[in-house]
Amino acid sequence: MGDKLHVMIIDDEPIVGKRLKRLLEKEDFVVETFTRGSLAIEELSNKHFDIIITDLMMGIVDGIQILEFAKTSYPDVRVIIITGFGKKETSEEAFRKGAFDFIIKPFRVEELREVVHRAAKELKAG
Amino acid sequence: MQLKIWHKMIIGISIPALIALFGSLWTYEYINDVKDRHGYVQIADDLRENVLEVRRNEKNYLHYKDTDYFNYLIASINALNRSIKIIPPATIDEIGKNDFLLLNETATNYTALTERLHDNFRQEINSIEQVREQGKKLENYATTGKLSAGLSLNFILNLRRLEKNYMLFRDRDSFSKLDRALFQLKDLIPSCYECIPYVEAVRSLFASYEKSDSVIRELQIAGDNLEETTVRIAQRERQHIAWFFTKTQRFMFMALILLCAIGPLLVYKTASYIVAPIIRLTEITKKIAEGDSSLRAPLKEHDETYTLAVSFNTMLDNLQLTHHSLEKSLELLHEQHMEAEKRASLGFLVSGVAHELNNPLNNISLTAETMKEDLNELSTEELKEHIQDIVTQSERAKHIIEELLDFVGTRKSAVMEKLDIINALAESINLVANQLKVSHIQLKKDIHKIPVFIKGNQNKLEEIFVNIMVNAIHAMKESGELTIYAKPDVNEKFIIIEISDTGCGIPEKELKNIFEPFYTTKQHGAGTGLGLAVARSLVEKHFGDISVRSEVGKGTTFTIRFPLYEEENQGPVAVGRG
Repeated sequence: MGDKLHVMIIDDEPIVGKRLKRLLEKEDFVVETFTRGSLAIEELSNKHFDIIITDLMMGIVDGIQILEFAKTSYPDVRVIIITGFGKKETSEEAFRKGAFDFIIKPFRVEELREVVHRAAKELKAG
Repeated sequence: MQLKIWHKMIIGISIPALIALFGSLWTYEYINDVKDRHGYVQIADDLRENVLEVRRNEKNYLHYKDTDYFNYLIASINALNRSIKIIPPATIDEIGKNDFLLLNETATNYTALTERLHDNFRQEINSIEQVREQGKKLENYATTGKLSAGLSLNFILNLRRLEKNYMLFRDRDSFSKLDRALFQLKDLIPSCYECIPYVEAVRSLFASYEKSDSVIRELQIAGDNLEETTVRIAQRERQHIAWFFTKTQRFMFMALILLCAIGPLLVYKTASYIVAPIIRLTEITKKIAEGDSSLRAPLKEHDETYTLAVSFNTMLDNLQLTHHSLEKSLELLHEQHMEAEKRASLGFLVSGVAHELNNPLNNISLTAETMKEDLNELSTEELKEHIQDIVTQSERAKHIIEELLDFVGTRKSAVMEKLDIINALAESINLVANQLKVSHIQLKKDIHKIPVFIKGNQNKLEEIFVNIMVNAIHAMKESGELTIYAKPDVNEKFIIIEISDTGCGIPEKELKNIFEPFYTTKQHGAGTGLGLAVARSLVEKHFGDISVRSEVGKGTTFTIRFPLYEEENQGPVAVGRG
């Protein structure tokens, strides 16, 4: 259990969390899901996560805020942004602030899996 | 008049200057004349002095009757003649030709008379000698007694005394006494031959005296004439001078009045003549500056202002052209801007739709893929859940499309008819009653008691009210107060409906966007972002308007106004695109 990577999934669409949790747990990740950004941040201040998959546009606390918070607390954390519509400026901002990658909805399971594996590989290598 | 401004100025200044110049020249001429006249007076005075000298010598001569005084008199007459001769003929013409002719004539006559008198005086002396000689002879006769009887010595002596008196006095009295005595002598001795030469001598003396007297009278008259003439000349010249002075004074006064009266008038006229076109131009420019750009400066004048007016008009034409082209550019820019805005809002709409649709689509594809991958591992329960998720998300997508269609108004148009808005509001409240109960929200109503009619569609109106009330319930979360107000306005033209909540409120910067499609402050999944946009669209279809005011932490109030039903708009009317 000790070398399992911890993944946090934040999306205000509960289905996304549910499906991805099942998917990633099969791949040997420890997964926690949140539908509210504020709760996720609360959890982040108590606990370390290796990979964060977050939706960009959510109510009060959005994906960019989570990215900033996570990167300040744990510079090594890999943050993967998913969003309902891709705007060039938003993806640029996310990368500038240290996002690992940017996935646009609707995405294929394969697509997400590839990005998460790449992040895991980097983490294990680093 | 084709005069330039500087021409007008020169004319305006020249006329008073010319008046002054003519006045000065005239005065100069007058003074010259007066100077000449002064010379003439001098000449006249000299002549008069000459004449007075002649008269003085005349008097002396008449008194002494000797050759010396005769010579003095002649010399003084010659001096007068010389004085007259040296006067230039032009001066004589000026002073008075007739007077000089008279003067010359009189002087010549005077000379002749003087010479005649001188001859007479010599004759007189001879006659006196004769009388004295004969008188002595007669006296001798008387003393020697050779005289005729009756002729006494005393008589003779008396005769000699009378003779002496007459010679001395030469007056009428002494003459008549002597004359009477001679007649007595003749009466006494008619044939006294000795007496005859004496009587004849005395008679001759009489004649001589008489002749002299007449010449003297003539001479004196001529002298008086000479004197009078010179006095007249001098007087006339003095009069001339006095007249010149009066005339000059009068002329100067007239010139002064003329300058005073005409000068300022002329200057004023010239100034206004110069300034008038400038004022006209100024007035036009003022009117143009006030906005009447169709006006143009009048091209009446032909002076410098003409060029100015032409340049001004050209400038205005250019300005107007520039203005037109600027307006056109501005219009074009505005059109472009509108187009850009339209495109931007379309882009916003499209990206909103994409975002809203992508979420359920993503959920469907994610669920479907999971099912595909783990089909054998999933329990029946799990499979059911997955399928239900797909159904729900499909419904969600369908709902989004429906709302979108509502918003853009491409769905079947709703029938608009006369209806009671109070009833529509009450039905809407019923629709959310359950939600109010669940969320522990209290309802306060201030609604008109009797029906209020507007032209509208029951379902659409309910959609509006429900949309807003659901928004309010979401804003208040777990507890609060929903207030519904509905009453006609004071003028009974509108029904005013206010829906207020005591929720979290909307920040001012977001307030202006809340009616925009896909603008939402709610968490994703909680709304489509179309609710208020649809509400506004529907309100506008009912010819109403919707506004919002809000205070963060206190609550939000939506105000909707619909125009009341008017009788002429009877019958159901369909609006919107088919």
